[in-house]
Amino acid sequence: MNVLLTGAASGLGAALLRACIARGDSVCVIDIDARPPNLPDTVTWLQHDLSDTDPALWDRIADAIAQQDPFDLTVLCAGISATGPFETISAHAHQQVSRINLHAPMRLCLILQQRGALAQGGRLVFVASLSCFTGYPGAASYGASKDGLAAFARSLRRPMRRAGVAVQLLCPGPMDTPHATRYAPKGARADRRIAPQTVAQMVLDAPRARFVLVPGAGAKLAALLGRLAPAMMTRIMGRVLFAKLKDQPR
Amino acid sequence: MWIRGVMTGSGKICLLTGASHGLGLALAQELVARGYQVLGTGRRPHAELPADFPDCAYLPVDLTQADAAPRIAAWCARQVAGPLPLAILNAGAGRYRPLSDETAAEMAEVLQINFDANVQLAQALHPKLQGGTLGLIGSVAHKGAAGMPVYAASKGALDGFGRALAEEWRGTVRVRVLHPGPVATGMSERAGRPRDMIDSLFLSPRAVAMTLLDRLNSTRGPDRQVVSFAQVGGHMLWRKLAGGAGR
Ligand SMILES: NC(=O)c1ccc[n+]([C@@H]2O[C@H](COP(=O)([O-])OP(=O)(O)OC[C@H]3O[C@@H](n4cnc5c(N)ncnc54)[C@H](OP(=O)(O)O)[C@@H]3O)[C@@H](O)[C@H]2O)c1
Repeated sequence: MNVLLTGAASGLGAALLRACIARGDSVCVIDIDARPPNLPDTVTWLQHDLSDTDPALWDRIADAIAQQDPFDLTVLCAGISATGPFETISAHAHQQVSRINLHAPMRLCLILQQRGALAQGGRLVFVASLSCFTGYPGAASYGASKDGLAAFARSLRRPMRRAGVAVQLLCPGPMDTPHATRYAPKGARADRRIAPQTVAQMVLDAPRARFVLVPGAGAKLAALLGRLAPAMMTRIMGRVLFAKLKDQPR
Repeated sequence: MWIRGVMTGSGKICLLTGASHGLGLALAQELVARGYQVLGTGRRPHAELPADFPDCAYLPVDLTQADAAPRIAAWCARQVAGPLPLAILNAGAGRYRPLSDETAAEMAEVLQINFDANVQLAQALHPKLQGGTLGLIGSVAHKGAAGMPVYAASKGALDGFGRALAEEWRGTVRVRVLHPGPVATGMSERAGRPRDMIDSLFLSPRAVAMTLLDRLNSTRGPDRQVVSFAQVGGHMLWRKLAGGAGR
């Protein structure tokens, strides 16, 4: 299998990379970090800052992608957050969230489609968040970027299916990754978070026909409640999450 | 009266983006008719404003420019001494076309106009909006639309942004995300959708503008609302029965 991953240096992306290497895939990675040592030759590592808007850099990435065989599985994992009361976060931080989480995956999709880099019968997975079901007060630009991605994925679903590509939307709840630890309120319990390896395996095993992927029973329940009573879930998120983030010194 | 004014003793003042055409123009006209002082912005210069542009202040500023939000906020501060009771972020752009026909630059521009610029404006206006209302004009396409994936993404992001912000600012600034259905503003033709039978079914900008304003002025109702055929039709019928209420 030929796999494309963004953000594979840590968290879910790293777990996916390990799992793909273990099953003998050849993997192309796009990440801001440099290639880590000891990766097998089956891994191509493209170092690229996804928040960079320089067209020349993106052309380089597009050319590098075009040199690979078409991808059977693409998982766009790279993402950052910015937590706290919206108005206290710098405009630059909000912009970075938007560029890395929304602009960049959309631009990559454009490249993948225009360069014919998505294999027939393959899958294209966008990594959104459980916040698509609950709202995310305390991370307004992050929640926005993930909802934007969800709308994008929903829009592409039908046209891509016609081209033989299954589009999927992964909506994980809090994972036990450096990302979650960085952005969760102080004192949040790590043992309640789902392991990235578990989510990675779920992505690899997911049936093509399923569009929304929500890993774990707790997250599934939250997603269900969010579908049934979206306004109430946002209020609850405000009470339990935003209230904590607001009061904590940053 | 079930339609309540937003004013809390600070006068009827509204900052409105995208006031130079379409739905924004209809909003500007309706606001002025209701006795508001309107601060309108748009991309085109003064000289290209339509003949029926109402009697109100206007600032041309391109929302794809990096300093657009601070410039609009500074202009607003010069025009209005006290707090700003109402801001409607309505400017928007989009093209009706599949992803394969997009270009990276135009994709980034649509995201910037419909989403990023509004994030920047919300932040820049926050101090002045205390006690007021922030209206974000989305679209029913925010749930996804196969014919316009980039536009849908930008409106989906705006929806998620407003959803979070409404909760964060509850009790200080009332945030509403209103999602109109298809409005007859010519946007969809300019966006590249061929003209057909369906166009005659599009909602009138004036009816949508009236419904949007009444929704923004009401303290009731959810943070995020669809304002499409059923809502606009029902609202206009109600106004007729109530004898042109609200003016
Ligand atoms: N028409 C529909 O069917 C429909 C449906 C749902 C939602 N909406 C939403 O409703 C809002 C208004 O749409 P509309 O139909 O009235 O569109 P429109 O007729 O095309 O008007 C768009 C307005 O936004 C301004 N604008 C666009 N790009 C700008 C930029 N880069 N910088 C500054 N201003 C810019 C335009 O200014 P200039 O004309 O001066 O360039 C104009 O005033 C948009 O947010 C749209 O997404 C429309």
